[in-house]
Amino acid sequence: MSVEFTTGIPLSWFLLVSATLFTIGVIGILVKRNAIVILMSIELMLNAANINFVAFSAYYDLPMGQVFALFSIGLAAAEAAVGLAILLNLNRLKDTVHVDDLNIMRW
Amino acid sequence: MDYTWLFQLAWIIPILPLISFLIVGFLGAKFSDKGGMIAIALVGAAMALSLAIAYAALTGGLPSHGAEGAYYTDTIEWVVLGSGFTLSIGIFIDTLTAVMLIVVSFVATLVVIYSVGYMGEEGDRRRRYFTEISLFVGVMLGLVLASSFSLLFIFWELVGLCSYLLIGFWFERPSAASAAKKAFLVTRVGDVMFMIGLFILFNLFGTLNYVEMFDPEVLTEVDQSLLTWGCFFMFGGAIGKSAQFPLHDWLPDAMEGPTTVSALIHAATMVKAGVYLVARMFPLLVHSYEWLPLFIAVIGVVTALMAATMALNSPNIKRVLAYSTISQLGFMFLGLGTGAYLFAAGIYEEGSLGYSAAMFHLMNHAFFKALLFLSAGAVIHFVHTEEMSKMGGLRKYMPITSIVMLLGAISIAGIPPLSGFWSKDELLAVVESAGSENWTFYLLYAMGVCTAFMTAFYMFRMWFKTFTGPEGEATKHAAAHMAHDDHGHKGKDHQAKPGKIKEHTPAVMTVPLMLLAVLAVFSGMAALFFFGTPFYGIVFFEEPIVETGMEILENVFTAWTTYLSIAVAVGGIGLAYVAFYRKSIDVDAFVKRPAVKPLYNMLLARYGFTKGYDWVGMRAVYGFSLVLDWFDLHVIDGIVNGLARGTAKAGRGLRRVQTGFVQTYAGVVVGGAVLMMLLGYFILVLLGVVQPW
Repeated sequence: MSVEFTTGIPLSWFLLVSATLFTIGVIGILVKRNAIVILMSIELMLNAANINFVAFSAYYDLPMGQVFALFSIGLAAAEAAVGLAILLNLNRLKDTVHVDDLNIMRW
Repeated sequence: MDYTWLFQLAWIIPILPLISFLIVGFLGAKFSDKGGMIAIALVGAAMALSLAIAYAALTGGLPSHGAEGAYYTDTIEWVVLGSGFTLSIGIFIDTLTAVMLIVVSFVATLVVIYSVGYMGEEGDRRRRYFTEISLFVGVMLGLVLASSFSLLFIFWELVGLCSYLLIGFWFERPSAASAAKKAFLVTRVGDVMFMIGLFILFNLFGTLNYVEMFDPEVLTEVDQSLLTWGCFFMFGGAIGKSAQFPLHDWLPDAMEGPTTVSALIHAATMVKAGVYLVARMFPLLVHSYEWLPLFIAVIGVVTALMAATMALNSPNIKRVLAYSTISQLGFMFLGLGTGAYLFAAGIYEEGSLGYSAAMFHLMNHAFFKALLFLSAGAVIHFVHTEEMSKMGGLRKYMPITSIVMLLGAISIAGIPPLSGFWSKDELLAVVESAGSENWTFYLLYAMGVCTAFMTAFYMFRMWFKTFTGPEGEATKHAAAHMAHDDHGHKGKDHQAKPGKIKEHTPAVMTVPLMLLAVLAVFSGMAALFFFGTPFYGIVFFEEPIVETGMEILENVFTAWTTYLSIAVAVGGIGLAYVAFYRKSIDVDAFVKRPAVKPLYNMLLARYGFTKGYDWVGMRAVYGFSLVLDWFDLHVIDGIVNGLARGTAKAGRGLRRVQTGFVQTYAGVVVGGAVLMMLLGYFILVLLGVVQPW
């Protein structure tokens, strides 16, 4: 099992980048009020996962991880389309994309 | 001759009235007579089959022979719970069953026929009446045919239910409704005892089937003390069902039901079930400690004496008959208890005679008591009252009824050669002979003779007050009504010549009466002399009394006890004649004497038992219930309500986590995920899978 990539960059660096991206996404979801930014943060988290897929795929020399990453990208595109459509309707109805204004489903 | 094929059909007997129950119950309204003919047909069919099977059983057709005599049994497994716990249901026929089958089916059929006339004015309610009476007959036939005490108990409860329904037939009358409840609740006290007895016996034997329990090898092996207590509690059930002291007070109240129902309850079903139960567990009794049979005999004679005293001054014609039933049932228990005591003491022939005499009395009593009740019913049907003071002089208007009722009264009083004499005399003779074994029985015999005297007296008091003397207001009213009717239908159904008054009771009622009168006169003699083997040689326990009719006659009429029995019976009748026919004794003045008045009132108050029951029910049980109610309201409900309040409060607090802000939820999800990861990490560290970082 080869520990080194052909480029010479260790696996842990990839994971570090992925974790950083994921954390940025999480923080974006938790602190941002704009729904579009939150949607973008979700994309960041998904891409962090994709980096993990590809990194491990290269590391173990198994193509399956890259296939998963492709599926994941396709899924993310579909999800973004649905999410943006919801947000568009929301904007038409309430004239806002701020999630703070949308708290009618509560106790 | 092989009658096995006939016995195999025995299960159909209780089914037939139950079919009638279903047909009349669901479709009765469609018939013009509301199901009366259906009930007669199916109960009559059950009677025909019963009589055939009883004939086969009594003429020696029973295939199997156990230690206690010949029997036929056929069972199927019903409840099987692992090994060692099996309840089976099935048929058990021996000579005792055969006698009960004859009595129950025959009396029931006549009562149902009579009911068509008696209940004729009830309209649509007849459907309910015939439904319930069919069920009553069916379950009673099932009770006597049951092959185990567990199945017997099921039918026992159903019999109780039916008597509840029928006593409360006129439920719109508060007295009838409460009498039905009283009958149900008081017999329930006995039923609980019965159940305790069943538990003890099941624990002891591992089965409740007669055949397996009555095996003499098993009986000598089991723990005698437990057996005795089991039988004691079973007898408690019989006390409740057969209205014995101290659970006797429901039976006089049960007179609130239609008279036909009273006749059925007193002659064939309900109360006879208790006597049947004790007769059925006779093999267990003879292996019990001696105090139990003695206890049964004492309860029997105390009940007999007490009930007879209460009948002395009862103003109500049906109540007199009710007390007399309680009293006669007491005689039967006296006979069974004495018989079992003699067996336990090792005197087999006399013991067997006690058993047979009690069963003989049960059969004869069924016929003359049904006759008396149905005659009383005809009287009530005519005058529309039950108060004897308002009757009087009825002989002129109901000659047939007066004669058949007189025959019944002579029979129960014990005048030879009518049926009541043979069985009551034999029963008392056995008790007297047991006196040489234990002096207590001399006392019991003396009490029995006193009861016999009072029986003759109160029966003839009833007859004289009802049928002779000046016409009471109810009689006059009914006579006027009848004359009016006759005038209205002249030349149609009443062809009476002027001046001669015909019986007003319809034939559907008088024919059963006359049939029963024939039996009340001849059943005793027939069972003793007309068949090849006398009754004691057919229905017996272990030792048949092999005597010819002539030997029985010789034994009966050479014993001093017989002449004492006849003397007290004649004395009782004579006293009633002097007091209530000739009126040589001023009875009204007698009972007003200061020495007699309190006694008189005490008898009217039924020795205070009615009040005592009310006290137990209203004060003791109700007071205890109030305590339980308080506990329920404050402790049980307190816990439940407290829990509910706590939950609601917690919910009010916790629902604030639902903020409606998406980001709160997202934060919780992320925090949760982090916590889970930390937890997983710590677990892995603790398990030693990974090194701490």
